[in-house]
Amino acid sequence: MEEKLLTITEAAEILGVSLDTLRRWDKSGKLVAIRKEGGTHRYYREKDLEIFSSDLMSFASEWIQSGVEFPAPFYCATSSIFNARLTKMEHLLMQKPGFEKLYSLIVLVTGEIGDNSFAHNLGKWPDTPGIFFGYNIDERKIVLADRGLGILETLRKVRPELEDHVSAVKVAFTEFISGRAPEKRGNGLKLVREVITDGPIDLFYTSGDAEVRMKGSDKVFQVTRGQHTVRGCLAKIEF
Amino acid sequence: MKLQLVKFGTTLISRELGSEAFRAFQPTMRELSENEELEIDFSGVLTLSPSWADEFLTPLLNQLNDKLILLPSDNLSVHATLKILQEANKKEFRIKL
Repeated sequence: MEEKLLTITEAAEILGVSLDTLRRWDKSGKLVAIRKEGGTHRYYREKDLEIFSSDLMSFASEWIQSGVEFPAPFYCATSSIFNARLTKMEHLLMQKPGFEKLYSLIVLVTGEIGDNSFAHNLGKWPDTPGIFFGYNIDERKIVLADRGLGILETLRKVRPELEDHVSAVKVAFTEFISGRAPEKRGNGLKLVREVITDGPIDLFYTSGDAEVRMKGSDKVFQVTRGQHTVRGCLAKIEF
Repeated sequence: MKLQLVKFGTTLISRELGSEAFRAFQPTMRELSENEELEIDFSGVLTLSPSWADEFLTPLLNQLNDKLILLPSDNLSVHATLKILQEANKKEFRIKL
């Protein structure tokens, strides 16, 4: 049986992007459309859209590096949208065999990283407000990203002596910032570090050119300088 | 007095909502008599984050000190959050065994 093809309008609705974006993606080869023999109209296979949407890390990193548009269902413009989508993810995780207790730690880590983006950029977003939040429960991965100020610029308000991204990210993950006014910064990332160190959850986190990679059974917290410099923050959680 | 935390929601994540919950609870706090204890029941809460709890439980602890009693919970996020708050505030919660 021949597979049903979706029109460009249907594909745009599914991905939450404009027709122009789809035409541009087709031209650039990012998401190539199908044309029926001799025709000029663009069509898409549902399966191809699913595969395209599953590349969460590419969407997130291209967005924070170059502002490239991504499918709208991953965008949380406000913290309340993020909370609603996080609750949905929590319900899906709770139903996954083996995650009946662990789900709450995964939601905690995701919630803290996402909420951090909103809490520290409120009223200060350099351009696009909000965050990228994508997850695939079957593939056990979650990706979060923002085009905010990043850890260094945020922390410098309370620690002006911080010189680079690596030392700022280290402080964010390891120290309780005393006298938090004017910047109300809590203990979220410290707990993220502890939960990841002790639990079966892996983390990749980057802000500026600083990178944190905690993976496998013998995890050690370490901040290194990466090859790329990113705007805001990007996190990948795997479990 | 016993407070079912789940009345504020099952997924207690953001700093903003934690602070809103604390303000919403203040009129009820006035009903607490001078030596009365306030028990916090975590039943039904699915995820509790340190950001939310820092806006709600930390100021309650500062207001009530040892009159604030936390009921036991087997939720992993509740355990992790209480541990980090005690460490950050350098102040222990009274947890009922």
